[in-house]
Amino acid sequence: MLNYIFKRIIHAAEVLFVVSLITFAVLLWIPGDVAQLILGSDATPEKLEALRISLGLDRAWYLQYWDWLKGLFRLDLGQSYLFGQNVTTLIAQRLPVTLSIAVFSMLIASVTAILLGSLAAIKKNTKTDYFVTGLMQLGSSVPSFWIGMLCIVFFGLKLKIFPITGYVPIEKGFIPYLNSIFLPSFVLAIGEIGMLLRTVRTSMLDSLRQDYMDMAKVKGLPKVTVYLKYALRSAMIAPINVMGIQFAKLVGGTVVIESVFSLPGLGRLILVAVEQRDIMLLQGLVIFITFLVILISLIVDIAVMFLNPRIRVQMEGE
Amino acid sequence: MNKKIIAVFFLILALTFTGCGKSEEKQAEDILKIAYTTDPQGLDPHRTAAVSTFNVTGSIYETLLAITPDWEVQPRLAESYEISPDGMEITFKLREGVLFHNGREMKAEDVKNSFERLKGEESPKAKDYANIKEINVLSDYEISFATEKLDVELAKAFIYPWTAIIPIEDAETLKSNPVGTGAYKFKEWIPQQQIILTANEDYYLEPAKIKELEFKLIPDATSQMAALQTGDIHLAEIQGNQVEVLKNDENLKIYSEPMNAVQLLALNLDNEIFKDVRVRRAIAMAINKEDINSTVVYGYGSSVGAHLPVNYPDYYDTNDVIGYNPEEAKKLLAEAGYENGLKLEMTLPKNYQIHMDAGQVIADQLSKIGITAEIKVVEWGQWLSDVYSSKDYEMTVAGLSGRLDSYYFLKRYHSKSGDFISYITGEMDPLLEASTSELDPQKRKEIFKEIQVTLAENVPVVYLQTPDRIFALAKNIEGFRTYPIDIYEYKDVFFK
Repeated sequence: MLNYIFKRIIHAAEVLFVVSLITFAVLLWIPGDVAQLILGSDATPEKLEALRISLGLDRAWYLQYWDWLKGLFRLDLGQSYLFGQNVTTLIAQRLPVTLSIAVFSMLIASVTAILLGSLAAIKKNTKTDYFVTGLMQLGSSVPSFWIGMLCIVFFGLKLKIFPITGYVPIEKGFIPYLNSIFLPSFVLAIGEIGMLLRTVRTSMLDSLRQDYMDMAKVKGLPKVTVYLKYALRSAMIAPINVMGIQFAKLVGGTVVIESVFSLPGLGRLILVAVEQRDIMLLQGLVIFITFLVILISLIVDIAVMFLNPRIRVQMEGE
Repeated sequence: MNKKIIAVFFLILALTFTGCGKSEEKQAEDILKIAYTTDPQGLDPHRTAAVSTFNVTGSIYETLLAITPDWEVQPRLAESYEISPDGMEITFKLREGVLFHNGREMKAEDVKNSFERLKGEESPKAKDYANIKEINVLSDYEISFATEKLDVELAKAFIYPWTAIIPIEDAETLKSNPVGTGAYKFKEWIPQQQIILTANEDYYLEPAKIKELEFKLIPDATSQMAALQTGDIHLAEIQGNQVEVLKNDENLKIYSEPMNAVQLLALNLDNEIFKDVRVRRAIAMAINKEDINSTVVYGYGSSVGAHLPVNYPDYYDTNDVIGYNPEEAKKLLAEAGYENGLKLEMTLPKNYQIHMDAGQVIADQLSKIGITAEIKVVEWGQWLSDVYSSKDYEMTVAGLSGRLDSYYFLKRYHSKSGDFISYITGEMDPLLEASTSELDPQKRKEIFKEIQVTLAENVPVVYLQTPDRIFALAKNIEGFRTYPIDIYEYKDVFFK
């Protein structure tokens, strides 16, 4: 088991290195001059050159990269030229926002998907099944910014029950905090439910077909126990994998939803970093998000291991 | 267990719903909430050229002189000023008892330090002040600036927001913690979220009427509109296409003024095709500015025939010099040897919807006289480096914002300017040079009229319009105006 985790960590380091190298290269090669963006259209060539030198952009790319890499080992991601703050500070400021909507929307999506997905599987090929799957198909095929707009207009403007812009930190009260993240999380959840629901339904159908289900029924166990304790538990492996992927995607920031709801999350920070060519900031963000994604997939693997005794045994036997 | 999950889910929902709706209660009319879309590039006025910075810092810092919305120069930190008869020196008498937000009194030495900082290495505006060769502190409240060459509009150089007077002891931290003398003090800046300023109780003029300014970052235009309608914000700059919806809201009103800017179709005069004035005139004749006005800015703009915006004191109407005439345009193009048409590339900056839209309308209009404009969309950063700095383009649509003196705006046309729209044949040079040595404002106005007529006839670029700046604001807000430079005087704004 420890051996397995160790291997995963080594592998993660490799991935991080390659990703950072690619980001660095791409940023250097895309057109647009950082100095020009900072100084604007009035700048003289001498001023531009002086700024490039002070930003260290005149040095060879591998030297710039090496400096950055050295910083990474000290957990120092450098300074953002745009905000004049440490990249780590900027990420720490944004993370609660993105994490909040990611967690909350996954909560909404998984609860809904598990409930409706199981229901659809149990009532397979009935009107309930068709209705549920049809509805979710619709939900996942409509673009999220449009649903976002509709929600703003309906819940914010017409009913006035939700604030439509901004984020309230949890320190300022739990209810205002929940209010500020509910709509964006809800909209994001709509986009994720479809795929998750299909997975739940399929694997639930699969486990309902297993022999032990008949056994349980024959034993005269109550329906709830049969479905929850036996069917759902073994049906959860695939959905948990999907949830992991979805969560990792959401943690990476959701540019569109963050823009529509004016939330200061990681997604918008990435957008600004790209537009303004803030190399340090972007590089730091990419590394951090890659790290998060790797971490989440590790957690998912461990979770699956606990759910599925067969995998557990296999790994311990390695 | 199933039921429990459902119960928790609905409990959360219920909690969420009951907690809403009342959050606006505490906000008396002490806070003005303003929407903005781009974070400032720091809050140090000497270290950036970004308009997003000056929009905010204009309330924190002050300059020696100020300008009214009607282009009148007024004293601010300086009580009065005097220009020597030869025009080479300007002397300011400073106000006494003006305090910085850190509590110290502002004196002549601070003015000197501020200008030396503005002229320094790291300052993007340094070259504009290179002409000031000497700064002499005459007493605590008197200071003079001597220039190397004659600048007939010298006083105006002391109005721009980047000439802010700062306390030098705080210079290092101004970027994130600005300290000035203005009617508002800095309280908080959370990047990508909000900026809060509070009224300065010790302000030497009439203090600000509204106690707190809250700038809220709302990047999406539709979200801004919704926030205006729910009262989440009181004031936002909007686009022409949003006016229709917002003007029907009984809690809102619309305010618009011409910008100090011109939108134009630039033609690269290094390109052989554009060296022929007939081609340029043909393009100008093919463009129906009325169409651009009605479709791109929804009527919120005024057509221009030359480079000065319509609200400039030196503005002269040249709209009729070359009118819309596609038939004549085709003939001119044929005369120039392009009877079979032309293929040209038009580079458009993606971040500016107004230029993107105008570019598409123009491309369509040009196609009617046989010119195929191939649109190439680039990001702002790339536009700046390729088009603006390297002059690597054929046609582009751009907006150029003006200053307070016409020469500064027009000097791009000097054949030696190296600007992306410089007029390489040198026809403008003598006129431009004459304007810099003419001390009589009336005669100078005549020179600028001649320049405008020459530009309108020779169309080194095709002038489109002065777009309006449009704002939607809560109906009970009074005193909000726009200024010829990128600042807003929020101290004059109040709730009725």
